Amino acid sequence: MKTRLQKWFEARLPLRDVVTLTQRTVYILPTGPGFMLGATVLLLLVASINYQLNLGYLLTFLLTGSAVVGMHVCHGTLRGLTMSLIAPDAQFTGASAVIGINLQSQRRSTRHGIGLALLGSDHWVWADVPPQGIATVHVAFKPRRRGLHRVPTLTAETRFPLGTFRVWTVWRPAAQVLVYPAPEAGAPPLPPGEPRSGSASAAQQQGTGEYDGVRGYRRGDPMKLIVWKKAAKADELVSRDAAQAQRFELWLDQRHTGAAHPEQQLSRLCAWVLKADQLGLDYGLRLGSLEIKPGTGELHKRRCLEALALC
Amino acid sequence: MLKRLRQLPRDSRDTLFLLAVIAWVIMPQLGNLPWWCSLAASAILLLRGWLAVTARPLPSRWWLLAVLVLTMAATLATHKTLLGRDAGVTLIVVLLALKTMELRARRDAFVVFFLSFFTMLTNFFYSQSLLTAAAMLVGLLGLLTALVNVHMPVGKPPLLEAARTAGWMTLLGAPIMAVLFVLFPRLAPLWGIPGDAMSGRSGLSASMQVGSIASLALDDSIAMRIRFEGAPPAQSELYFRGPVLSTFDGRDWRPLRSGIAPRMQAPSNLQVLGAPVTYQVTLEPNNRPWLLLLDAAPVKPALRGFEATMTAELQWQTDRPIADLMRFTAQSYPDFRYGPARRTDGLQDYLDLPAGFNPRTLLWAAELRRDPRLAGADAAQLIAAVLERLRSGGYSYTLEPGIYGQHSADEFWFDHKEGFCEHIASSFVVLMRALDIPARIVTGYQGGQQNRLDDFWIVRQSDAHAWAEVWLAGRGWVRVDPTSAVAPGRIGSLQRLLAPRGMIASALGNVSPALALNLRALWDAVNNSWNQRILNYTQGKQLDLLKNIGFASPSWEDLIYLLIGVVVLASLCGAAWTLWERSRQDPWLRLLERAAMRLQQAGVKLAPNSPPRRMAGQLAAQWGPDHPGVPAIRDWLARLEAQRYGAPGARRISLVTLQRELKQLVWPK
Repeated sequence: MKTRLQKWFEARLPLRDVVTLTQRTVYILPTGPGFMLGATVLLLLVASINYQLNLGYLLTFLLTGSAVVGMHVCHGTLRGLTMSLIAPDAQFTGASAVIGINLQSQRRSTRHGIGLALLGSDHWVWADVPPQGIATVHVAFKPRRRGLHRVPTLTAETRFPLGTFRVWTVWRPAAQVLVYPAPEAGAPPLPPGEPRSGSASAAQQQGTGEYDGVRGYRRGDPMKLIVWKKAAKADELVSRDAAQAQRFELWLDQRHTGAAHPEQQLSRLCAWVLKADQLGLDYGLRLGSLEIKPGTGELHKRRCLEALALC
Repeated sequence: MLKRLRQLPRDSRDTLFLLAVIAWVIMPQLGNLPWWCSLAASAILLLRGWLAVTARPLPSRWWLLAVLVLTMAATLATHKTLLGRDAGVTLIVVLLALKTMELRARRDAFVVFFLSFFTMLTNFFYSQSLLTAAAMLVGLLGLLTALVNVHMPVGKPPLLEAARTAGWMTLLGAPIMAVLFVLFPRLAPLWGIPGDAMSGRSGLSASMQVGSIASLALDDSIAMRIRFEGAPPAQSELYFRGPVLSTFDGRDWRPLRSGIAPRMQAPSNLQVLGAPVTYQVTLEPNNRPWLLLLDAAPVKPALRGFEATMTAELQWQTDRPIADLMRFTAQSYPDFRYGPARRTDGLQDYLDLPAGFNPRTLLWAAELRRDPRLAGADAAQLIAAVLERLRSGGYSYTLEPGIYGQHSADEFWFDHKEGFCEHIASSFVVLMRALDIPARIVTGYQGGQQNRLDDFWIVRQSDAHAWAEVWLAGRGWVRVDPTSAVAPGRIGSLQRLLAPRGMIASALGNVSPALALNLRALWDAVNNSWNQRILNYTQGKQLDLLKNIGFASPSWEDLIYLLIGVVVLASLCGAAWTLWERSRQDPWLRLLERAAMRLQQAGVKLAPNSPPRRMAGQLAAQWGPDHPGVPAIRDWLARLEAQRYGAPGARRISLVTLQRELKQLVWPK
């Protein structure tokens, strides 16, 4: 019931990437210590009445007045604050994604102790927003499934200054975050290359083990054949085996991953894509009916990963 | 040292600050607490500070429990109880100090804060002076600062910043405090309060120790207000009767405690003569079960909620203490007679003197009886002779009677020869009894001051008085005021002795008389206005205030209504302010937003922050340009755009018109 109510409430909220908090979107309720303070004030009042202490009345009412002002200060800490989402980068499933949020204040005084968290989580990130300035906070979340997801619902709260009231707001950002499949840890080596269509020696080369399509640098290798990424990690220079690359093409095919479960297949493909990219190889991707022609580079990798995320 | 303090980690710094504030709050109490409690509290706070500076772990719960049990036992041993005011204060101070040893979670911190607030209040049990108030204001600011500091979770903000926030909050909270203080009805104690609650309070008491009324003479607060219907009696006739004290143990005078129930006692035989005086009494709460009426009031005054009875000694008693302002009308006959006409056994009680006290007075009484000039004199003549002695024997009336020892009557008659009314009355009654004349002491108030503006007579605590009653054969009990023989000015005029000056004041006076005089005058004025306006702000004053505002016959319900009215007014102001703040949003943008909302309801998908032109395009794309209502909406959107972005010289359509048109548009469904 409670979760249904919460879902209904959340669904009512508009989707926005920039939100300026107003009276309508900021909620306030007393906290446990707030009730404790109320009980204390009541106790002070009873003592003042029973012992007929006029100075006791003064103390009681001054405390009451300060608490009432504290309530307004607390509400004012969030009211008028502008929160804007920094568009999040794509993430892998299971890795911690970080959402950046800019908190912008027009006020002439500092807004103290504003906490942000995912709705329902207990990991608060606290920040002070400087006068007429911006504070940036980062909230982490772990996407559970691949695909295009909405940035999870966020909540901001403050208990400044007395902790007797909790002022909070719930914010549903409109932005979406792309989540790739989780790369398989300890994935099997890259599949062997397939002979270019029309090549005769395909059968010979099958089953020769790891396809790496690289060899040690030989004098006279042209610069563009050098695998710089790999060279940066090893001490020696490494070149693409042009001969092999010419004869074989690396195809990452969903049907030939050797994994049973479709998600596991995607996970393995993801690991292979990353590996192949790291090695600087040309690779193509076959996902069901989708086929991405062999290529290399950041853009190509991203295309493959997006295909893996969204298929 | 300062540098080291500055380099402390935040936790240690915050703890030290909180400890300092707690020490400040407890400090004024140290004199009133049992010595072990002061010692324990100081030691615990110091230990806690050391633990904070050296970042050592806190002691385990078992230790704290052991200390707690020990202090409970010590409290029980000191106060003989765990309840009551003094025991409660002792326990709270120890608990507060011990709780600082348990500052683990945030909840513990809150408990410390709220215990501290209560400890602050307990200071007021002992003193409500201006100085105490100032000290506690500082304490409150300190506590709020610490509380604000707890809620600044980022980094190590300077304490001054938290102090500034706390200061602002207190300053803005002060008007709320003022309104509540003025209008919150002063209620009677909600339940019976422990017997020690009113100690240190002024007012008449049920017994009189020589010297106790003199302390009342320093108290300028109001005991009651009287309004006479018709001409008031002469001021010298204004004797308001309080407790009648007949039993003397050498030191204290107490009411006669006969084993006979009041109803079975000898009747007072009150006979009244002449015309009565009718008057209205506004009695300030005195927390005593008696009324103070003019001698003698035979008719029971009409009281709301109280039952009153008159004793055989003409004192009016109520069934419970008067803890609230009370207003009633009474009738008294200044001319009256009462008491047995002939000598009875019951009068023997009024001749008893304790053995071993005042030998010289007894001797003098014997001499007087043997005096040939007084041979055959009756009681009235003896009294006249004694009063003559008081008048001409060099006796004087003073507020600084010096210290009286065991034989107070002897010392008054023969050594000091000066005293306050209670010395004089007590010595007089002792002498009378030694002369075999039944006599007793009556305490109450004498005189009062007429306020020419509103015709009220104000009777102050400083009008407290003690006089004597003697029994004369054939006449019954007769009032004799020996003080009037010593100082005729005390009775019937406004002359009062001035309170003596303190030691520091007199030292200052020797150095620079003018400066000291000015300072003293200033301090007196400030102190007096503090006493009058804050400490003496009673229900009576609240009701007077309502009367000044224009309430015809104010009651405490009116106070509540007024308070509710103020709260409602404040809320309305707040609501108006909120509306005003909302209207500060650009009205054009608001109009645009409303249009966007209606379009979205009509199923048009809009990107956030779409301008009017794009909205119009989306609308046409969704519903077709000729759908009913769509052309009008597009037209309206175009005019909305023109309103803001139109060419400078063009005639502008007003926003009000646009708003009216928006309401008339038909939206596709």
